[in-house]
Amino acid sequence: MQIENRTLIKRFDINLTLVVLFLNLIGLYNLYSATHAPEAMVWGKTFSSQIMWLSAGWIVYMFCTFFDYKIFNKLAYVFYGINLVLLALVPFIGRSFYGAQRWLDLGFFRYQPSETMKLALVFVLARVLSQKSSPNGMGIKDLILPLVLTGIPFLLVAKQPDLGTALMLAAMAGTLFLFVGVKKKILVFAIISVVVALPLAWNFGMKQYQKQRVLTFLDPSKDPQGAGYNTIQSITAVGSGQWIGKGFQRGTQSQLEFLPERHTDFIFSVLSEEHGFVGSIVTITLFLSLYIMAIRIASHARDKFGVLVAIGSISYVFWHMTVNIGMVTGLLPIVGVPLPLLSYGGSGTLTTMLGLGILSSVSMRRYLF
Amino acid sequence: MSYQLQTPEEEVKEYSSSYTLLYASVVLTFAILGVRLWYLQIYEGNEHRYISERNLVKKSTIYAPRGRILDREGRILVDNQAGFEAIITPQYAAKLEDTAKAIAPILNLQAARIVKKVKKEARQNGKYRPVRIKENLSRDEVTRLSRLQLDHPGLDINMFIKRTYPFHENGAQFLGYVGEISERELPVLNKERSRSDKFHQGDIIGKTGLELNFDDKLRGEDGLKFIQVDAFGRETRLNTSGLFSAFKEKIEAKAGKHLGLTIDADIQEAAYQAFNLNDKIGAAVALDPNNGEVLAWVNAPSFDPNNFTTGISSKLWKSLMNDPFKPLRNKVIQDHNPPGSTFKAVVALAALNEGVITDKTTHNCNGKFRLGRKTYHCHLRYGHGKVDIYTALERSCNVFFYKIANQLGMDKIAKYARALGAGSKTGIDLSREIPGLIPDTDWKQKQFREAWQPGETLSNAIGQGYVLFTPLQLATVFSSIAKNGKVFRPHLVKKVLNSKDEIIQEMEPEVLKDHSPKTGGDFKISKKAFSIVQKGLFLVNNGERGTAKWWKIPGVEIAGKTGTAQLFNLSSDQVFAKCEERPIKMRHHGWYVGFAPAEDPKIVVAVLAEHACHGSTGGAPVARDIIRAYMKKYYPEKLKSKKYRQALLIKAEE
Repeated sequence: MQIENRTLIKRFDINLTLVVLFLNLIGLYNLYSATHAPEAMVWGKTFSSQIMWLSAGWIVYMFCTFFDYKIFNKLAYVFYGINLVLLALVPFIGRSFYGAQRWLDLGFFRYQPSETMKLALVFVLARVLSQKSSPNGMGIKDLILPLVLTGIPFLLVAKQPDLGTALMLAAMAGTLFLFVGVKKKILVFAIISVVVALPLAWNFGMKQYQKQRVLTFLDPSKDPQGAGYNTIQSITAVGSGQWIGKGFQRGTQSQLEFLPERHTDFIFSVLSEEHGFVGSIVTITLFLSLYIMAIRIASHARDKFGVLVAIGSISYVFWHMTVNIGMVTGLLPIVGVPLPLLSYGGSGTLTTMLGLGILSSVSMRRYLF
Repeated sequence: MSYQLQTPEEEVKEYSSSYTLLYASVVLTFAILGVRLWYLQIYEGNEHRYISERNLVKKSTIYAPRGRILDREGRILVDNQAGFEAIITPQYAAKLEDTAKAIAPILNLQAARIVKKVKKEARQNGKYRPVRIKENLSRDEVTRLSRLQLDHPGLDINMFIKRTYPFHENGAQFLGYVGEISERELPVLNKERSRSDKFHQGDIIGKTGLELNFDDKLRGEDGLKFIQVDAFGRETRLNTSGLFSAFKEKIEAKAGKHLGLTIDADIQEAAYQAFNLNDKIGAAVALDPNNGEVLAWVNAPSFDPNNFTTGISSKLWKSLMNDPFKPLRNKVIQDHNPPGSTFKAVVALAALNEGVITDKTTHNCNGKFRLGRKTYHCHLRYGHGKVDIYTALERSCNVFFYKIANQLGMDKIAKYARALGAGSKTGIDLSREIPGLIPDTDWKQKQFREAWQPGETLSNAIGQGYVLFTPLQLATVFSSIAKNGKVFRPHLVKKVLNSKDEIIQEMEPEVLKDHSPKTGGDFKISKKAFSIVQKGLFLVNNGERGTAKWWKIPGVEIAGKTGTAQLFNLSSDQVFAKCEERPIKMRHHGWYVGFAPAEDPKIVVAVLAEHACHGSTGGAPVARDIIRAYMKKYYPEKLKSKKYRQALLIKAEE
């Protein structure tokens, strides 16, 4: 056991850890700029509490790294069950902000069950799919359980309402389904049913403000002072950064509060405005390298659960990052999805670091050829 | 454990076909995001930079200070003072009710009223225009409000320049006042202005008096600067140097020009006090007959123009409008009244120059004069006896003037009156002057389609009937008499100065009428006629029985004439009834117009003492006080002369 542990440390994925650390540092630097400009409004505790969350996040990361990830396989249903109960409790004892009930008040911080649900779903799907997947693609019988496991939290979150998180759950589950492979017939059927479901969801399932967001996305100039305001200000912030940006703490759009929610959902706009195309590209390149490393780690995992939990974890980062940047650059509607490793937020930071920690754990226990 | 053991290499390879798809997906996503960023930041970067600049740049007016108004010695009559005002911009006032509640106790206002005012003005003027909540904030109010600014978007403290009138009520009517341009004035004033010169709502303009007449000179040109604001319109100091270009542009304000007046603040003050000390109301104007310069200009009662500069309360406005003695009115040029006996000086001059009488001619006054079926009375019931022109002027004998006027006819009298400057606007550099009236036979034919009646000549000759004078016209006519027929156009503005106090324009004296014996042109009035009239006027103040003999200044000889402007046609009984017993609004106005020193006139003063019954007791003491103040200042040696001291001794013995 001692010998095994020693070799294990040698296998510690330093490259992955450095990329994560580097993105963390960019995130802190940028958050500091967003909240501490000398002439702008000072945001007090935001920065220091993010440091606290990140420290906790790194403990989780290291903890996961050195513990065998198979524990998540064993406890997948337990995690999933606890999360589901908490999620179900939100409508009854949860706190409401911005017209949506998403938080449980734990006294020292507001816990968002939908955030950890994302990884709990990854664990449980990785477990189920690793058992049921076959080289010929999954059949309809095998898909029933994973679909139900995805469907329950999806509906609970969508009801909060939190369309962004619901779509994230669907995207992550979809990634895993496609990754393990399903029969072509089912794939075609799924695509057709989505096409049919969309207009139905539009007419019956979506709330007015959600429809408004989509409509505004299609034409932000229709309501520049109202619903389109965020999109327009964000695009202006990003675009006005030009090549090298306006400089640290000098983003006028961000610092003078034209940009809403600049420390959470619109944190990338701050980065783009203050550090321009160069800063933006450096950051998304770091994300790209993170994805490539993660896929490599998955492809070298020692077992099917390891592959799937690695793919699921990185898909969490990938989808959040893609939707968030798509949204702040006007490619996607504003759905309120934070940017992993850069946005301020306790639940998000911890969840991200947990996912990356598992990735690191899978890497450490990789299959050696 | 069993699960782990069952995991062979082949099983993991089950997914190997999917990795390519994953790599492709992340690279494609990266490419899409990268291209989008390139498109926004590089391709459209300039445009977005410009939009972000437009977001935070707000145009702000630099107010040009209005020119000051100075007296002839450079003393300040109208000034500017910096003050602070609290404003709320409706566009940014997201929590108007909260803001109103927070500031109400500091400003001593009611929160509900603030909300109502902001909403009302936002409806009227649009939500971008700041609403003034309170002016003239104290230092304490400014500090307390500025602490609230951060939490209350839309709330601002503005510096503004307030027009101040250190002399308050004194001179208010000719100095005028300023106010915000009204919605009705705006299109009218902008009609003939070029685009760059147009007025804007909120501009302060002159509303009356010199402030109105010389508005173009006094008003400067506002400048423009750019300030940096945040999303809530609050000014920020975020360092943006090197990011934008607009801040480089700044248009400096051009200060207005100063006016140097002919007014002498000392005489002005004395003139205003003369009304107060003698407990009189009415109007007075003092001119220098040698050049037409106005030395003092008073209306009483008056108002304080300081109350107008930042918007007058409707209560005060109403009380001023309803005041029966019309404090807002510039009576010196806006009210005309029958000149009464002061007009006799004009008739005397006409008769002498036309040869109707000489200084030897005498007429007997038995108290009445009969013309046709009507009897015209003298003010002395049993008459003045045998009178010549000197006595007639000294004692103001009506019968003497009835007789000579009857011989002259109205047209000749009118010709002389006009030649001296009566019957038309003097052309003073103030607007809203009225012309007065000198009637003649043609005028009556046109006005009433009736022939002139000889009896009307008699009443007009003693300054009753149709004939009307403003105080300024009376002063002008007596300037002419004092200076032998040469009279200058009265004027208030002597020079215009730029903001560095350098003279850029000087107003030269302008001859209004010249019928003097030397340079009078076609229509000369003889030196002798003037001398005789001047001597008669001298006797009014200095003769034993002169109607103004009580009002002398030892050492200085004053010449003048009293008069009574009858406000109503009175029956013969009423003529002799005691004026003072009537209610004040029913009492006649008293006139006095005089000049001094009689031998070489330096100052002419016309006084209208409203409802004072008589010129001698109403107007003359006020005029005497004004003249005394003038002599004391400019010719103190005269007052200190032997004559003066002797007079004082005599007074002491009495």
